[in-house]
Amino acid sequence: MFKRKMAGAFAGVMLVGGLAACGGGDDDAGTDNGNAGDGDGEVSGEITVWGWNVAASSMELAIEGFNEEYPDVEVNVQDIGRLDLYDRLTVGLAAGGSGLPDVTLIETDRIDNYVAEFPEGFLNLSEYGYDEYASEFGDAKIQATQNDDGDFIAAPWDVGPAAVFYRVDIFEEAGVDADSIETWDDFVEAGTTIKDATGSYMVPIDISADDALFRMMLNQQGAYYFDDEGNIDLTSDEAVQAMEKIQELHENELVANVDGWDGTVTSTVNGNVATVPFGVWYAGTIMDQAPELEGDWDVFELPAFEDGGNSAANLGGSDLSIISGTDNPDAAYAFVEYFTTTVEPQMAALDEYGMFPSLLSTYEEDYFDEESAFFNNSPVFRTFADMVEDIPGANYTSDYARAFRYASDAQASSLLQGQSPSETLRQAAEQLENETGRTINE
Amino acid sequence: MMKKKKTRELLKKIGLYSFLFIGVIISMFPFYWMFIGATNPSGQIFSIPPNLTPGDHFFENLRNLNESVGIWRVMFNSLVITLIFTAVSVFICSAAGYAFAKFDFKGRNAIFFTLLLAIMIPYHVTLIPLFKLMADLEWLNTYRAVILPHLSYPFAIFLMRQNMKAIPDSLIEASRVDGAGEFRIFFRVVLPTMRPALAAVAIFLFMFQWNNFLWPLVVMNSSDMYTLPVALSSLVGMSRIDYGQIMLGTTISTLPIMIFFLLLQKQFISGILGGSVKE
Repeated sequence: MFKRKMAGAFAGVMLVGGLAACGGGDDDAGTDNGNAGDGDGEVSGEITVWGWNVAASSMELAIEGFNEEYPDVEVNVQDIGRLDLYDRLTVGLAAGGSGLPDVTLIETDRIDNYVAEFPEGFLNLSEYGYDEYASEFGDAKIQATQNDDGDFIAAPWDVGPAAVFYRVDIFEEAGVDADSIETWDDFVEAGTTIKDATGSYMVPIDISADDALFRMMLNQQGAYYFDDEGNIDLTSDEAVQAMEKIQELHENELVANVDGWDGTVTSTVNGNVATVPFGVWYAGTIMDQAPELEGDWDVFELPAFEDGGNSAANLGGSDLSIISGTDNPDAAYAFVEYFTTTVEPQMAALDEYGMFPSLLSTYEEDYFDEESAFFNNSPVFRTFADMVEDIPGANYTSDYARAFRYASDAQASSLLQGQSPSETLRQAAEQLENETGRTINE
Repeated sequence: MMKKKKTRELLKKIGLYSFLFIGVIISMFPFYWMFIGATNPSGQIFSIPPNLTPGDHFFENLRNLNESVGIWRVMFNSLVITLIFTAVSVFICSAAGYAFAKFDFKGRNAIFFTLLLAIMIPYHVTLIPLFKLMADLEWLNTYRAVILPHLSYPFAIFLMRQNMKAIPDSLIEASRVDGAGEFRIFFRVVLPTMRPALAAVAIFLFMFQWNNFLWPLVVMNSSDMYTLPVALSSLVGMSRIDYGQIMLGTTISTLPIMIFFLLLQKQFISGILGGSVKE
């Protein structure tokens, strides 16, 4: 009898083995001890901010200036990997807001998705008066950070005006003048000349996994995956025209099919490609990974689809949101307001870490006109800054990630299997319709 | 005649050894490549032709790495968590396995069956409820939040039970007749015969916890409580990545696994062989 009882207890205890006591670091779980309601209007307390990599470092730089205005607020910036941050944010919001910071960085194209998934998850910044800054940013940024009611859910921060980074030495070797490239047709022509003369491809594309070039082409034409009403817009003339152009690049053997981010960087560094059309943030990557190519790089504006057409487009960018469960909304708002609407921290972030501000008043700074030794002594930041106001808005919607996947699939079928873009995009639109219930624009 | 046979043997050996040699190269090269990356500045690993000689940036990478993630502190966290976890979990799982294998109690098969079903629950399903539990207990950002939830590891219990089945009942009976208590039998008679299995389970659990990523990522809030995989992952940002640091961090993080494996290797191999022989 004893044997049985004993064993039952044994197995039972072991199954719920989690009850065994264990020592461990007893750090405080929540770092907030908000006391915003002091009554005297003074903002104080402690806030935690999540960000990744250079963006986190940029915010850390701003703490000193912030504390001059708000000496009683202690800001802790935590550097978390980008995708890791989303994992934690999703789990925390799904679990009802535990373990979350007060302020979080969020990529512009992900905001809609989080707002749709967790409508109560983020603080409405308009209620705290952020509307007064609405005229300080370009339209594209405003559209992306406001919800359907026109309230700010995120405060605009960095923006990714896109242009073509190119290798001056390779262009010279092939005798191609970068300034003469005005349209995508010119771009294809230049690419063919360069390929014949030097053997370098024109652009790197991760054909089956990333459609960055396609998105830039859509955006510059004022189109995107979805229209302003949220209908699927992948079958638009603009989309078909863009995909056909990419297909043409590929058929002329101007596309280096690279593997992911590392593949893109590899071909950038080793001269496999003559240009990389990307957002301004790629400047930092090139400087970090290819310091020996100083002076060999420069930038020209994205080609347009027709002469004199709009060329400005955006790729990437991020913003700051306040988690609605914060214990100290006043301090969190004070930090977000200071950081995103003051020239000083924005310029420091640009100068130190290449985070390109969307705050329009920063572009008056002389810094933008400085010639960059790395980029062939050109004032590249001015080139980018001049584009920001011309970037058309894009409606990312809560189904951005799905649309991205299907568009990349369409790109793969168009390029790798040679199917017609109007067909592959139609298929992508139909799959998207099935999955999301949105209607396709005819 | 004799000579011919000898030559054939020799050829066979050459064939075998060159085959093994190629295998060694293939499996060692990634480690070597990692080491090269760890001693060179960031952009170097992208150069073509690839650079295969160690560089002189080891200490600079180490300094940068320590600045970005506090590598020693993070290493300490990982070691504490993994060692405590492995020790406690091996005990719990072998005890549970012993009970399932050698004791006949009511509902044994039902419980065991439930346990097998638990192996099939995907890790991610439990993530949010478990996280909420930890938040409610106010255990976020503590070692115990990482250590406790997976202590009773269904697969390890299953493995121990299968191994324990091989212990002759008569051995246990004899010990009982000699007057040994149940715990004494478990520790003095059962466990010593299980050393290969224990080593295998220990290596398995050690690797599980050492490489565990998603759970520590979610429950550890502050960077001084990160485990190694979480800290390394935080080095990967948007567009600017220092590959030298990452390679060095990865190199450092593989060392304990190698050491642990080498220490238990003998037991481990005899465990594999042990299974192939039936008395």
